[in-house]
Amino acid sequence: MDDVLIAPDIDYLAVAPMIIVGVTAVVGVLVEAFAPRRPRRGIQLVLTFGALIAAFVVLISQAGTRVITGSLAIDGPSLVLQGLILLIAIVSAMLMAERRVDPAGDAFSPRASALPGSEEERVLSTRGFMQTEVWPLMLFAVVGMMLFTAANDLLVMFIALEIMSLPLYLLAGMSRRRRLLSQEAALKYFILGAFSSAFFIFGAAMLYGFSGTISLPGIADALSANPGQTPLIFIGFGLVVIGLLFKVGAVPFHQWVPDVYQGSPSAVTAFMAAAVKVAAFGALLRFLYVAFGGARWDWQPALWIIAIATMLVGSILAITQTDIKRMLAYSSIAQAGFILVGVIAVNPEGVAAVMFYLAAYGFATLGAFAVISLVRQDGGEATHLSNWAGLGKRSPVLALSMSLFMLSFAGIPLTSGFIGKFTVFEAAILADAVPLVIVGVIASIIAAFFYVRVIVLMFFTEPAEVGPTVVLPSVFTTLVLAISVAVTVILGVFPQPVLDLVEQANVFLR
Amino acid sequence: MNAYAPIFVLALLAAGFAVFSVTLTSFTGPKRYNRAKVDAYECGIEPTPQPLGGGRFPVKYYLTAMMFIIFDIEIVFLYPWAVAFDQLGLFAFIAMMLFLVNLAVPYVYEWRRGGLDWD
Amino acid sequence: MNTDLGVFGNDPWWIVVIKAIAIFVVLVLVTLFTIWWERRVVGRMQNRIGPNRVGPLGLLQSLMDGIKLALKEEIIPKSAYRAVYWLAPVISATMAFIAFAVIPFGPEVSILGVMTPLQLTDFPVSVLYVLAVASIGIYGIVLAGWSSGSTYPLLGGLRSSAQMISYELAMSMSFVAVFLYAGTMSTSGIVAAQEPIWYAIILLPSFLIYVTSMVGETNRAPFDLPEAEGELVGGFHTEYSSLKFALFFLAEYINMVTVSALATTLFLGGWRAPWPISLWEGANVGWWPLLWFLVKVQLFIFVFIWLRGTLPRLRYDQFMRFGWKVLIPVSLVWIVVVATARVIRNEFSIATEDILLWGAGLLVIVVIGGWILQWRSSRKEEQAEELAALTDDGPFDPMAGAFPVPPMPGQEFTYTSRVSQRPLAAATVTPAVTSGPSSTHLPDDDAPKESSNA
Repeated sequence: MDDVLIAPDIDYLAVAPMIIVGVTAVVGVLVEAFAPRRPRRGIQLVLTFGALIAAFVVLISQAGTRVITGSLAIDGPSLVLQGLILLIAIVSAMLMAERRVDPAGDAFSPRASALPGSEEERVLSTRGFMQTEVWPLMLFAVVGMMLFTAANDLLVMFIALEIMSLPLYLLAGMSRRRRLLSQEAALKYFILGAFSSAFFIFGAAMLYGFSGTISLPGIADALSANPGQTPLIFIGFGLVVIGLLFKVGAVPFHQWVPDVYQGSPSAVTAFMAAAVKVAAFGALLRFLYVAFGGARWDWQPALWIIAIATMLVGSILAITQTDIKRMLAYSSIAQAGFILVGVIAVNPEGVAAVMFYLAAYGFATLGAFAVISLVRQDGGEATHLSNWAGLGKRSPVLALSMSLFMLSFAGIPLTSGFIGKFTVFEAAILADAVPLVIVGVIASIIAAFFYVRVIVLMFFTEPAEVGPTVVLPSVFTTLVLAISVAVTVILGVFPQPVLDLVEQANVFLR
Repeated sequence: MNAYAPIFVLALLAAGFAVFSVTLTSFTGPKRYNRAKVDAYECGIEPTPQPLGGGRFPVKYYLTAMMFIIFDIEIVFLYPWAVAFDQLGLFAFIAMMLFLVNLAVPYVYEWRRGGLDWD
Repeated sequence: MNTDLGVFGNDPWWIVVIKAIAIFVVLVLVTLFTIWWERRVVGRMQNRIGPNRVGPLGLLQSLMDGIKLALKEEIIPKSAYRAVYWLAPVISATMAFIAFAVIPFGPEVSILGVMTPLQLTDFPVSVLYVLAVASIGIYGIVLAGWSSGSTYPLLGGLRSSAQMISYELAMSMSFVAVFLYAGTMSTSGIVAAQEPIWYAIILLPSFLIYVTSMVGETNRAPFDLPEAEGELVGGFHTEYSSLKFALFFLAEYINMVTVSALATTLFLGGWRAPWPISLWEGANVGWWPLLWFLVKVQLFIFVFIWLRGTLPRLRYDQFMRFGWKVLIPVSLVWIVVVATARVIRNEFSIATEDILLWGAGLLVIVVIGGWILQWRSSRKEEQAEELAALTDDGPFDPMAGAFPVPPMPGQEFTYTSRVSQRPLAAATVTPAVTSGPSSTHLPDDDAPKESSNA
């Protein structure tokens, strides 16, 4: 009766970035409740950018921290990935803040709960209503992502998974144009995401049943203490990995990716495609290396198959797509396969390569979706590939940036994507996974087809008579494009500083 | 497990009584069929035809149920904290206060946005 | 605290059966008694006698009603979903009965030579068990409404259950303070923890919130709109006849008894004797506590009946607003106050915790009282304004509504712009309004006046 709980020792400065973003998200909800309608968007923008930038500054000041506080492990990979998430979030927030490209307002529906096509929606739109809950939702998603990469504990990982996913389910359904497609995307994402979360927590329960603890290092200790193979380990591992691979978009669990990426507003797709992958791969890395690092001979064959299937399926299915958002969705599945190759190579070079690839891929994705949001017809985005014909003549700057991003995805030298693929394949070869590299190269060649097809379409095809227009964006999207182009080029030509950074930060804390 | 066994006894007794009552009436009651009696009762008029499954419900019932689930889970978290309060010290008190703040904020947001109004 | 629960779960099977049958019989008898008592008390409150023919004082009335219901024809609507239609009353009734498994009737007594507590069973989370079982009982109502196959029972069932879950939140929150003090969720532990003082006194706001929400939870007046005759006929049990209807009725009354028993256990000291009697040593030993317990439960049931006889019904949105916007914030604030006071006592060993709690409790009641008073006075002001507006002696505008109206007694007919636009053909205008005020202005008297036109 007299044993009072001893408070755990928490290094608040190390988790301060997450706290800053989380508190700002809660304050954002209060702003939603109390602020009058007109200044609401301005307040939310200030809060969002302020929080993200402040969190990033605090994060940089924490460089070099290696500590396990409570259930979180703040070490090199988690700091680098959290920083990457924050940068991607800042750039995505700029994309979401864009108001000039859509003649009716910003990219989000004036009231997401209004019936599509109803009178209420039309009235709200003409009155200039704006759903400013987007900003707190995005901040909550960022908190979840940062927590996901740092979680040292299966339960905290699950909570972070939910905090990350639920706002994204909402955001996917808030598109201003093509409401039904957007709502369908949100519903599909929600249902499939709920299933995968259920798989995750079932697997976590199995692993708890096997090892008696939910902390990842504890599971590793239990594994090394009981070398016997019990079904509990396999089932637990399999279910948890299914949950994580769903978020990544790996092959048997990729069905949600095309529909969700196509239906969501482009700004949200950019955010999802870039940041969720970072968070999910961070969690996957931590789970596989810290908890199951010793059992790698058991799970590597399974992941080989998944990686090969992902690379091939993503690349092949993207060839037949006619909608550029869907094509980029399948291409992101293929990219996830390439990153999985780096994950499978269980060595420090692999971790560094994965982190670099995520950075390269993230910024290229942001840029590509920024370009997509600028090609419009009748107020909405013109995403059918035929609409992109001849873009090079009408807007050379845009077409050149898009070509840069496509080349980066394809892995052509002098772009960040090339360095990314190079380091990933190098790590795989160092781990004797040569067949994976061969399949990766083949998949890259296949993928290069549809990437180059877009470039050919833009530059070497005659534009249609009555075609889409390219809208002049405000400073937000211009900045996004500029940053993405700069990062893609710099990381391709001068990658050494970033490579050094990720190589220093590639050891997990146990 | 032994502490829960008596509940089964009582449950069996109660369920037996209920099922017995429900089946008894088909034997003890008269059966005078009348076409009007088996229609749905709508104060005497002809009942409006209903779609299968009852058709759509107004969405405000869903909203109430969802709000109930959220606050019920909050209460479920409050119970073990309250029971073990004396052994948990200041740290758990502050942690739970932060949790309550986290739940008060969406409550206030819903209040202001009209989610708690029964239209 | 766990050692106290060791006395449970060790009974031989025949004791368990005897106790279960005893609880069952007690519940049915209390229900029959309550139905009769309600009709008598409500009758007396309405200056009439109530049932007094069947048996001495009319005591056998409810039994005869039950038998009558058993002999009625069973009408099943043809659009009903059979399986669920049969299942719904079974769920309601069964859950209502088994919620009573953990209610403590008395301390340890000797039944046929075995020392056993007067309680079917107990475990560390028994209050949670009661709440869980009550929630499953709500399923019975929703399913009954849905399976009847017509809209009005469906809406009635949804409304009833929406109301019940809203008030269940406030009810559950009021328990948190009790657990803070008792340190356990087991009913026998809570009764034991109330030996120094009853929780209704030191946790008065929780008690008040609980009493209010228990009336709302059981769909009783003044919160019984879903069952009002003029609303949705019978609500969810419109299409039910004969013993299935009787089962719903039974379930509702047993729910009443259960929440009263919970109130007794958690706030009024359970089977402990009240203060003057507790000075006598033998009051809390043996079979006497059963009497105190039953008296307290009947007291609450009388309060239920009293409320039904006196208060008018609240409108549905009014009591949903009350449940969500008043009860829940007040409960949360009270929980924070109690927890703060207790942590101050624990951490800083200040024995003024009692004073703090009393003060905070009084403050909460004062705040609520002030709030209610202020709301009523503002309502009175609004009503006074409305009344004044109606009998305002301002300028009378006959065209203010959709069609022209003559002036009321006391109102003065003045020109409106429409009147003034008519050509001033003076000869043909005759005062058509003869019963108006004496100062009626005719078109050819003065120049057209300005009027306050809508």
